Amino acid sequence: MNGLPNWLTDEKGSADIAPLLAPDSPVSLESLAAEAKAITLRRFGRTMSLYAPLYLSNYCSSGCVYCGYASDRKTLRRRLDFQEVERELECMKTMGINDVLLLTGERTSDASFDYLRRCVDIAATLMPKISVEAFPMDINEYRALADSGCTGITIYQETYDPDQYNMLHRWGPKKNFLDRLETPERALQAGIKTVGVGALLGLYQPEKEALKLLRHVRHLCKTYWKAGLSVSFPRMRPQTGGYQPPFPVTDSFLARMIFAFRIGLPDVELALSTRESPRFRDGMAGLAITRMSIASRTTVGGYIEQNNDEKGQFEVHDDRNVEEFCFALQEKNIEPVFKNWEPVYNGPCSE
Amino acid sequence: MNELQIGTHTFSSRLILGTGKFGNVQSMLDAIRAAGTELVTVALRRFNREQVEHDLFAALSTIEGLTLMPNTSGASNAQEAVRAAHISRELSGSPFIKVEIHPNPQHLMPDPIETYEASRILASEGFLVMPYIPADPVLAKRLEDAGCASVMPLGSAIGSGHGLATAEMIKLIIRESSIPVIVDAGLRSPSEACAAMEMGCEAVLVNSAIAAAENPAEMASAFNDAVKAGLKARDAGIMPKSGSAVATSPLTSFLGKTS
Repeated sequence: MNGLPNWLTDEKGSADIAPLLAPDSPVSLESLAAEAKAITLRRFGRTMSLYAPLYLSNYCSSGCVYCGYASDRKTLRRRLDFQEVERELECMKTMGINDVLLLTGERTSDASFDYLRRCVDIAATLMPKISVEAFPMDINEYRALADSGCTGITIYQETYDPDQYNMLHRWGPKKNFLDRLETPERALQAGIKTVGVGALLGLYQPEKEALKLLRHVRHLCKTYWKAGLSVSFPRMRPQTGGYQPPFPVTDSFLARMIFAFRIGLPDVELALSTRESPRFRDGMAGLAITRMSIASRTTVGGYIEQNNDEKGQFEVHDDRNVEEFCFALQEKNIEPVFKNWEPVYNGPCSE
Repeated sequence: MNELQIGTHTFSSRLILGTGKFGNVQSMLDAIRAAGTELVTVALRRFNREQVEHDLFAALSTIEGLTLMPNTSGASNAQEAVRAAHISRELSGSPFIKVEIHPNPQHLMPDPIETYEASRILASEGFLVMPYIPADPVLAKRLEDAGCASVMPLGSAIGSGHGLATAEMIKLIIRESSIPVIVDAGLRSPSEACAAMEMGCEAVLVNSAIAAAENPAEMASAFNDAVKAGLKARDAGIMPKSGSAVATSPLTSFLGKTS
């Protein structure tokens, strides 16, 4: 594809970390873990920020091969009405959640910008910290979300390889690789304070994906000096449609990638979701990861009652409840942090 | 005088603790007690009115004789810091505020311009303002003139463990300052805290080095000893450095009094 930005294609931007991820790397996983742990301890201490997702809607206009929400899936479609949104958030509050990620599929008339903004307005009455993982928006829309109390957006590039991207995204607005790549910058230009990025691991060669993702984060750090960055490491999980990832990622590589990111991005928040097993999550806590989702439901709503007919976007692997998960963290002398933000800091980032 | 004076308040301990990075609340409380500290800073964003078990403010309030200095960590500009200070005072009742403004959430370096502006406003409102600042002697004097109760220059970046990398600048700040100079951020070991006190700092603020230790309470105790040792050495009169050898017995004593 022509028109790729230099920061994405210039391998110099990740030359320091590339040897750590190479298949024949002489650097042992154990030594990487030790270095990552030391950096994490100094910079973030013995704490873990916790958040939970709330799926608002599973309507979608795109045809992503790998996604359970793709518009050709026979999934039961629904969206939460505003009363349901409030009730779900209240339920999450009783679980101790103070940091919520609101999710939808790609833009549709059922899950439009206006709907999403209204949901943020509701969340702002209950939650100190609100982030959104939804369709790409324009600068005015992001600014409006920030005005409503949204401080963060999450937008995964899915794959950083343009050809693979084109093949996997069969139709819909998500098919535009460059538009998606530029989305975090639009959000930051609009004053959104924190952007979470990632690649959906399994869609393409993991080593290449990791290095391009690293370059993306470094580009954002340099260009938007007030940006809070977080990196997630979502690995393909079973989902409706039964898509099998062409480049499955092993636990060992995923751990190596996370350690390398901590070394290459010592100040950046690294997040791990309930896609991963309890064993893997517990093992990574304290080594490099500083942010985790907890007690997640990947069906629309789902905190008040589970609908057995409905399939989530993906299968959760770590299904421990809040108490069980916090106990595991505490056993490792890690403090579960439920509130690490104050609404007084909400509003668009100043120029 | 062995007491630390900040505004109208006096403290016998010159070790101030941060509370943000401990593995659990109990280890934080144990470290505070072992440090013998009387002043701790706590982020407004870690106040949790709805879940007492996760509310650092509530936990800290259980220690008798401890003064709390809320901080504005998370603020990216003066306006946010001022709002956070008002809420902090309302919730804690403390007249102290640590102004902490770092618009870059990666390296957490303090913004000198926004910090000055917030400090000026809050000092005029009667807060005891203790700004976290770059080790800049001019900024320090500006903040003193604006009515701050102390200045807290960084030794090195938060959580870096690079110690007193800014020592030369801190010395200039101390030389010129009429308000307490407190090193904040970057200290890794008790010997560095001792060095800061020997240098002329009135106190040190430590968090990561204690919270990240294998045994936080023991490390807090070690910092307590080190701060006392540094102050004691300073009061005792530290021998000046010389560029050449100085004999213990002067070589010209045989000449008698020459002047």
